[in-house]
Amino acid sequence: MTETSDIIMLIPVLFPILAGIWIRFIKSDKQRSSLVLAVIALEILLVAGIAIKGGYRFTIWQMNDTLSVTLAADALGAFFACMIAVVWLLAGIFSAEYMKHEENVPRFFMFYTMTLGVLMGVCFSANLLTLYLFYEMMTLITVPLVIHTQTKEAISAGIKYLGYSVFGAGLALIGFFFLNTYCTTTEFVGGGTLDMTMVAGSENLLLWVYFIMMIGFGCKAGMLPLHAWLPTAHPVAPSPASAVLSGIITKGGVLAIIRTTYYLFGVDFLKGTWVQQVLLILAMATVFMGSMLAYKEKLLKKRLAYSTVSQVSYVLFGLMLMSPIGFVGALMQVVFHAIAKNTLFLSAGAIIYKTGKTYVQQLKGMGKQMPIVMWCFTIASLSLVGIPPTSGFVSKWYLAQGGLAEPTFAATGIAGVAILLISALLTAGYLLPIVLESFFPGDDFDYSTLEKKEPNSLMTVPLIIFSAGAVILGMFSGSLMNIIIEISGVIF
Amino acid sequence: MDMNLMLPFLVFFPMVGGIVGYWLGRNNKKARNLFASAVTAIVLLGCIMLYGKEAYFMIPNFCGLGLQFSGNGFRMVLAVITALVWFFTTIFSDEYFAKNYRNRNRYYLFMLLTLGATLGIFLSADFYTTFVFFEIMTFTSFVLVIHDESKDTIRAAGTYLAVAVTGGLVTLMGLFMLYRIAGTLQIDLLKEAVYHAENKREFYIAGGLTLVGFAAKASVVPLHIWLPEAYRVAPAPASALLACVLTKTGLYGVFALSGAVFFHDANWGMMILIFGVITMLLGAILAVFSVDLKRILACSSLSQIGFIMVGAGMQGILGHHNALAVNGSILHFVNHSFIKLALFMGAGVIYMNTREMNLNKIKGFGKDKPLLKGIFLMGILGIMGVPLWNGYISKTLLHESIVEYIHILQEAGKSATFFRTVEVLFLFAGGLTVAYMTKLFVAVFVEDGESAKYKGKYMNSASATVLTISAAICLLCGILPHQIQDTIAEISRGFFFAEAPEHVVHYFSWVNLQGAIISICTGAVVYLFFIRKCLMKKEADGSYTYLNRWPNELNLENKVYRPVFLTILPFLGALVARSVGSIVEGIIVLLKTYIFNNDDGKVIPPEDAYFSLYSHDAGARSGFREGLAKSLLFFGIGVTIAMLYMLL
Repeated sequence: MTETSDIIMLIPVLFPILAGIWIRFIKSDKQRSSLVLAVIALEILLVAGIAIKGGYRFTIWQMNDTLSVTLAADALGAFFACMIAVVWLLAGIFSAEYMKHEENVPRFFMFYTMTLGVLMGVCFSANLLTLYLFYEMMTLITVPLVIHTQTKEAISAGIKYLGYSVFGAGLALIGFFFLNTYCTTTEFVGGGTLDMTMVAGSENLLLWVYFIMMIGFGCKAGMLPLHAWLPTAHPVAPSPASAVLSGIITKGGVLAIIRTTYYLFGVDFLKGTWVQQVLLILAMATVFMGSMLAYKEKLLKKRLAYSTVSQVSYVLFGLMLMSPIGFVGALMQVVFHAIAKNTLFLSAGAIIYKTGKTYVQQLKGMGKQMPIVMWCFTIASLSLVGIPPTSGFVSKWYLAQGGLAEPTFAATGIAGVAILLISALLTAGYLLPIVLESFFPGDDFDYSTLEKKEPNSLMTVPLIIFSAGAVILGMFSGSLMNIIIEISGVIF
Repeated sequence: MDMNLMLPFLVFFPMVGGIVGYWLGRNNKKARNLFASAVTAIVLLGCIMLYGKEAYFMIPNFCGLGLQFSGNGFRMVLAVITALVWFFTTIFSDEYFAKNYRNRNRYYLFMLLTLGATLGIFLSADFYTTFVFFEIMTFTSFVLVIHDESKDTIRAAGTYLAVAVTGGLVTLMGLFMLYRIAGTLQIDLLKEAVYHAENKREFYIAGGLTLVGFAAKASVVPLHIWLPEAYRVAPAPASALLACVLTKTGLYGVFALSGAVFFHDANWGMMILIFGVITMLLGAILAVFSVDLKRILACSSLSQIGFIMVGAGMQGILGHHNALAVNGSILHFVNHSFIKLALFMGAGVIYMNTREMNLNKIKGFGKDKPLLKGIFLMGILGIMGVPLWNGYISKTLLHESIVEYIHILQEAGKSATFFRTVEVLFLFAGGLTVAYMTKLFVAVFVEDGESAKYKGKYMNSASATVLTISAAICLLCGILPHQIQDTIAEISRGFFFAEAPEHVVHYFSWVNLQGAIISICTGAVVYLFFIRKCLMKKEADGSYTYLNRWPNELNLENKVYRPVFLTILPFLGALVARSVGSIVEGIIVLLKTYIFNNDDGKVIPPEDAYFSLYSHDAGARSGFREGLAKSLLFFGIGVTIAMLYMLL
């Protein structure tokens, strides 16, 4: 890969941030919405162009010989960036309608657009310092989305979110100091950059450092033990914001974990150590805990947030297997979960927008009132459970193959696969009853009170695209597979 | 092997057809019904065209591993039966749903989707494909079961879905492991892998897990809880589909595992046999006790599935001598489908007129309706195993396969007590079949009752035609065993890698007739001395009422599964999850209480008053308030210092 110093790398980051500020001062709702969508659409083109061309690199600030703030477009970053930009656009279209019943709309869209820029920074970070910088920015800039409604509940949730995230990032920062010493460079290089001559003798110290960093970054991904902010913060945000928080921002943590694990420490150093096993077990515990608590939860959006806790830990389980097939499963799960969870949160949003109903037991007969929305909800649910031919099944297949192929910790691997399936059963238990109640309200249901409440196309079209994606990407996962194999070729 | 486009067509055409039909049905119901019948007719033709071909088709990378279809022999037979059953029930649905049914459009959509999925299962060449369509079929058929949405129905359908989804996930675990061990899920290749494996233990585990989902769908005891209720509450055409085809998809999985993958494996066969015997007996006993027409038929299905499982088990146990067992299980599989087609549609006719299924309410309905009586009689005689009807042929083969193994054991000088017991139980279950079917027939067609008042036309000519044909098939297969039954067996045998029987079976020889006679006599005794004495009560006016004497305590679903899976396990799971999940929250609460307690917004560590002495001076220099802002400020300072340290 030839690396050029090209200022074009700065554009995907700066453009949405500047545009966001501009958006703040637009008075007309209609103009503002179209501008937001235009900005995101342009951003998609830009990111797609960068992803296809590849190899761009730009140093914003060279601090000293070893430290710099640098953006670079490698395959992994481009993969995440493309996914994020597309999801952002669809959720943006949905918000254009949804935000009509919220206050402070300009502020929301300002931060919504700016967040995209920061996320691009996270994706395209070329070294740990840059990643850390954008990672913290991501936390700070999403707080306004969480506390948008400014109710007491939202504000305390926002503070909880901030506290956990900053603490988590702080833990990760500890690792940075060590890595700065023990790595040849904190630049992300596939396969790791540990300086083995320096590491010799202090392996265990570095494993602890790795462990602490994982707990820290795991906070954003909702992994035990720092997951508790997630079910509090996601549900209080406006639905499109919860959708991207759950579907995308959690993946920021995943990306950071991939970068540290595969691009700094390297698989060779970590594989077969106690850290791997402990993290596998933590991921498994989170998978189970998340879906169990979701099963018990009655508030729809909170149930979905717990579901995120569990589903994102599927990804972490796959990553911690540190094998190519586990990695494939994990990255597929990243995409498929983003799609499914966005569909679910947006459907929940459409229901709130049209009927104001938030509890699962209120959704009886909803399928008769909002057939398109509930169909999308159904498809996304099936994908999340992992029913073929939806996409969730495909990612689960690879994750399980990875789990069973685990050479050192065979028992943990098998237990992990069993937990994936138990969690799938629980997922069926917390999503399917909603679907059933909404489509089959029973013969004593009073059909005369029914009225069509289908939202307009600004809401339904993104939902339909998402749920079509949830099915089609599963059926024809070949091209996605090729991209992931290309990424994993660099790191294994 | 040529790539045959017919296979994907058969699977996907009905699905597309279903969607087109849905769109049609929004404006014109008549056109939709005709269209649905036409789709099933085309599919039927397509299935027949598979005859004699080694059809094969694959869609690489679809859903990850890709789909593989194959349409030879047994698969073709299954496809034809499926399409035929669908064709008949679709014609019958037209009249059945004509009155008092909501959501018919939905029914037709999902009926056709289910057809495609079912064909996908039967034509699959590897377990991956089987599983993909198996799961699709679970969900689409669920919509058929829940159709009328009454309280009972919703509950029963919920059980059906829960059992099927849970079973499906266990099967998935098995498939994960099989693929991991063998590197393939193609049924033929798996057979080789298992056959040559030195250590079969992990194959047994993987295969056993894979079996669970299929057994759940085939409703093998103890996973049978959904079946009696689901069949009872579903609309009659849907019950017919369930009984004739959908449960058979589970058996297809069982066959693929025990006939092909665990080829000639005695241990595996023994396991299947034991489950088969239990299912066969329990189903028959439940049927004897039932007082609901459709429930009797449902429990009867359960029992017959047990018979087929016995055959599947005997295949493995007999090893190279399994020709009779193979033929028996194939034929009972096929015969049972036709029998139940006639009987469930017949039950549908009764329901459509009376809106009742309780024997006491429909008593006497068929008394002066010779056509319906004839149709029922064909089915009933078939399932009883009376010579000259189709059930007799297959039951004889199954019985002979057990007897054959007893001979083999005796020649080898080993104890045959176990298999003698199996034989006795087999004949006894056959006897119970006779008993409960007699009960059914006598109630509906012989005794007098309130339902005798339904006079006149009770079904239209289209329904009458399909019912008559279904019933006639039962008789025809029984009269011409060598021409029809042996041919079906011969076409299908390749699936099990079985050879032809060493000599032609003389179905009507005295040895073979004996089994049937024993069963029929047992049945007569049970009917006369148990059913009539214990399960019926003579009323003052001389008529009889049928009593439900099955104790409520003996309900596996309500007394075991529901409490365990809906109350106890979630409680324990949530307890564990909550305690694990709140560790950090708990620590934060503790910190808040003991260290960062916000009394007057001051930090006062409890035991070291001097440490925070300055804060006692209230109102003095308080530049900023304690709290988030201050923490952030300190954090920022910390980061700055750290940065400076690194830079300098």
